[in-house]
Amino acid sequence: MFLHYLKYEILSSLRVKDLIFWLILFPIILGTLFKIAFGHLYEKFETFSAIPVAVVDEAPELDSEFVLKMEIFPTRDIIDSVSEGDQPFLKVTYTDRKQADELLKKGKVTGIISMEGKLSLTVHDSGIEETLLQNFVDRFNSSITVVTEAITSNPNAEAEIIQAISTEIKAVTDIPLTKGNTDYYTEYFYNLIAMVAMYGSLTGLNITIRNQGNLSKLGARKCCSPAPKSISLLASLIGSFIVQSICMLICVSFLRFVLRIDFGSRLPAVYLAAVCGGILGVSFGFCIGSIGALKTEIKTSICFAVSMFFCFCSGLMIGNMKIIIEEKAPWFNKINPAAVVTDSLYYLNVDKDYSRFQTKMITIAVLSAAMILLGFGLTRRKKYASL
Amino acid sequence: MEKTVVKIENLVKRYGELLALDHFNLEIKEGEIFGLLGPNGSGKTTTINCLLSLLTFDKGNIEIFGKKMTPVSYDIKKEIGIIMQDVAVFEELTVLENIDYFCGLYIRDKALRKQYIEEAVKFVGLEDFLKFYPKKLSGGLLRRLNIACGIAHKPKLIILDEPTVAVDPQSRNKILEGIEELNRNGATVIYTSHYMEEVEQLCTRIAIMDKGKKIAEGTKDELKRMIKNTETVSIDILNLPDEVKSEISALPHIYDTIYNGEKLTVYCSGGKHNLIRILDVLQKKDLSFGRVYTELPTLNDVFLEITGKALRDKEE
Repeated sequence: MFLHYLKYEILSSLRVKDLIFWLILFPIILGTLFKIAFGHLYEKFETFSAIPVAVVDEAPELDSEFVLKMEIFPTRDIIDSVSEGDQPFLKVTYTDRKQADELLKKGKVTGIISMEGKLSLTVHDSGIEETLLQNFVDRFNSSITVVTEAITSNPNAEAEIIQAISTEIKAVTDIPLTKGNTDYYTEYFYNLIAMVAMYGSLTGLNITIRNQGNLSKLGARKCCSPAPKSISLLASLIGSFIVQSICMLICVSFLRFVLRIDFGSRLPAVYLAAVCGGILGVSFGFCIGSIGALKTEIKTSICFAVSMFFCFCSGLMIGNMKIIIEEKAPWFNKINPAAVVTDSLYYLNVDKDYSRFQTKMITIAVLSAAMILLGFGLTRRKKYASL
Repeated sequence: MEKTVVKIENLVKRYGELLALDHFNLEIKEGEIFGLLGPNGSGKTTTINCLLSLLTFDKGNIEIFGKKMTPVSYDIKKEIGIIMQDVAVFEELTVLENIDYFCGLYIRDKALRKQYIEEAVKFVGLEDFLKFYPKKLSGGLLRRLNIACGIAHKPKLIILDEPTVAVDPQSRNKILEGIEELNRNGATVIYTSHYMEEVEQLCTRIAIMDKGKKIAEGTKDELKRMIKNTETVSIDILNLPDEVKSEISALPHIYDTIYNGEKLTVYCSGGKHNLIRILDVLQKKDLSFGRVYTELPTLNDVFLEITGKALRDKEE
């Protein structure tokens, strides 16, 4: 009996055109649009790029001590070394003072480093790049002092000291938190996955409609059959979970392998999170459908509206919405199904370990179980006051 | 002695202030085609829904096959076939899949189910439409599918709630013939309708309902005997003098005459040769007349006389 129900539940669900559109085609279309819109923004705005700087190499009045320092300390070599490689820190233009002022005025460089006496920095604005430059210059100047003192006391160790100090002067070091992708715009694709998961609520709603005698003729007919309602509901739920999971797998696969969205190095866990999110969506719809005796159309509208609200709050439409909610009502982010799904995907991507991901998966499991139990409790009623 | 299949005692059902069933009683014997006849809103469908334990009720008792009917009476439900007023099938499943789905809720044995499905398909004449989806079927074919889904498991009690609403005459005849055949094969049938002709043609016993009450019950002949009218004579005639109309009214066994300028309608109660006596009066007055016809009372006359209103709305 159970397998009979299950077979036809899956078969009929897979043939619902609306469901196929909302759960498969719509995410594909939206995902493609997201890719077109955000695909290159990360590289453009979020990746660190070398700070343009003008270096003025003129020393009209060098004091004898500084000349000594400059002779033993290869300043220019060090500046050159931080301007080369895969991730250069500086983009250097060697020029005279007049030309450097001109470049700074036009905004073509962030600052001017002058090798006049001690290294000095001239900037027009304050910001991250200016701060980094100041840090570099300060460390350079303090290093010169340390080096000259060290070499004076131990002339034989000159080469080692200069090598060590040159490495230390590098102002920024890339410290990866994870092997994952920290692209801010990937959040939109997490939200897209969460949206597909929440659309599962429509499938969940369909379960109650098709099993409740007061919501559909089909439900009434099922209620007249000798099959226990619990078996019918369970088969419908599992069938919907399977169909929803297929849709989630298609969605993630499309994003990963067609649009080439980087979900990090833990793809199996991403699939797992998406499938669990889909189960949560179905459970949510099942729960909504079982509450009250509202008309099917009204319940569908409520389900759709609430799902979209959850997605909105997790940042589907406005990227930093979740952050705003985290400031105003952090508890809501913890129970918002869409936010829980996006968080689990995010943590998978950026965290070194699975602890935060596991917490989110437990939240998904608890929310799903609570909704399913509530749904079962409300739909197990055998008779209706009116049909 | 015939077994009682359905027994409804003192059933009361309210929808808020509305009294949908007012101490309703019914007893249906094995092998009957029992008709529940009444206008829309008379309580027929509510009775069926209470019978099937879909609806709660305020008072009363329902027994099917001698056992109390509850929502978890799965052994009773196994023997019932239900054909709802509205078609209740899966839009996403084909004709064959739909019948298999519903039959599978009752019959677990696959081989037996296959045989039953083939018989049901043949019974409703859907052999050529097995791969069709419901939305591709006409209204009549859809109704047939609805019936096949309800009877494929060979139930002992079949409940048909207005199965011929919005059905073309060909499909209607097919459905009615099918119901008679199901009955001949041993099923007890409960048939609700507001089409009196169908009920008259089909049912061995009839209960007439109005405002949640049973106002009459019996065979069609028993019901017709409950009323005064036994024959209605209609004659197409122009310029009927008042004295002739009065003379006809004065004939024995005639209790009412109506003349509208074109047609004379004479209502008779008992007696023999009423038509001959009426025509004899017209002949003696040398009045020419056109079409003459006589009708025996219908269930509508029964309903009209008991309730003072027609069974069916004019637009129906």
